[in-house]
Amino acid sequence: MHKELEKKFLDDFDNNQNIVHKVCRIYTTNQDQHNDLFQEIAIQLWKNYSKFRGEAKFSTWMYRVALNTAISLYRKSIRTVKTQDFSDVSFKIASNDYDDTQDQQLTALYNAIRNLNDIDKALIFLYLEDKPYKEIAIALGISEVNARVKMNRAKDKLKKILNP
Amino acid sequence: MVTLNNMDLSHYKKAWKNQPEENNKISQNEIYKMTQSKSTSIVKWIFIIGILEFVVMNSFYFLFDDTSQKEMMETYGMTNVLLVSQIIAYIILFYFLIMFYKNYRDISVIENTKSLMTKILKTRKTVRNYVIFNLTYLVFISIMISVGSLRTEYTHFSTKESAIFLVFMVILTGIMVLVFWLFYQLLYGILLRKLNKNYKSLSDLEMK
Repeated sequence: MHKELEKKFLDDFDNNQNIVHKVCRIYTTNQDQHNDLFQEIAIQLWKNYSKFRGEAKFSTWMYRVALNTAISLYRKSIRTVKTQDFSDVSFKIASNDYDDTQDQQLTALYNAIRNLNDIDKALIFLYLEDKPYKEIAIALGISEVNARVKMNRAKDKLKKILNP
Repeated sequence: MVTLNNMDLSHYKKAWKNQPEENNKISQNEIYKMTQSKSTSIVKWIFIIGILEFVVMNSFYFLFDDTSQKEMMETYGMTNVLLVSQIIAYIILFYFLIMFYKNYRDISVIENTKSLMTKILKTRKTVRNYVIFNLTYLVFISIMISVGSLRTEYTHFSTKESAIFLVFMVILTGIMVLVFWLFYQLLYGILLRKLNKNYKSLSDLEMK
């Protein structure tokens, strides 16, 4: 039974691990921290997996656990200073249908998001991932009206960073 | 070089959507290994530090359990007062321990962000209240010792000498309390700075 659950968890995680990588990318500034946060999210997901009964989509559940871990549980450890900061790394992707402009935009976007506070990061991330306001409000535990107001403020901040 | 100025967020959103899959994909094997490792979350730290605080705070009581201290209390005629205060202190300790553990158990990462933060902060508050209680108890013990020793040991003290003795005890207790308090503020200040900040920015528009 346990082995079955483990297998199912690893499959679910594997199919959606991009979500976790994206969260790690916006909440950390170097590869060591990225790995640290990734690990903590994996621990939390597995620890709570037995409580996930498939009422929601696994990905929806994953968004919540990943963001909660990044916002409330994760503490940057002291040993993560030696590696190169992401701000110097551009998101260069070797792909034909992916043009240069989008590369630059993506790099600029990630760098801008990293300058936001933790809550605004979550809001912008959920906006970019096309989550409806209702879902965002439920995930954060605030009213829908409040979520809209906060989202507009976060977007304004982001635009200011992107177009100073 | 293409200029990125004056672009709407929707362009960036498009770039976001088109971003390819992570190229450093973690294998299932590695994910499995990760899930077996120990959490280093803030909640874990609060739990460990909380337990340490209960232990450290209670090791003070053993100072007063010391036979010489007991004899001292006997000569002061305060054995009963001490005994009663200790029983009360232990009852209160158990109350706080149970509350602390209950609050800790309630913390769940699958809840919404706000209630998760509320519960973490509540758990920390339980320990803080316990520390406040202990410092108050420390002051109480200190007063008992001062008054007791003035009444029995230092009966030959003049009013002036008694006053100096009391002032000395007040300063001593004050320093002890202050040092402890600053230590806790610093400890939790460092540990919870991020959480407090996030809680504030999430709650700033909510109705009280």
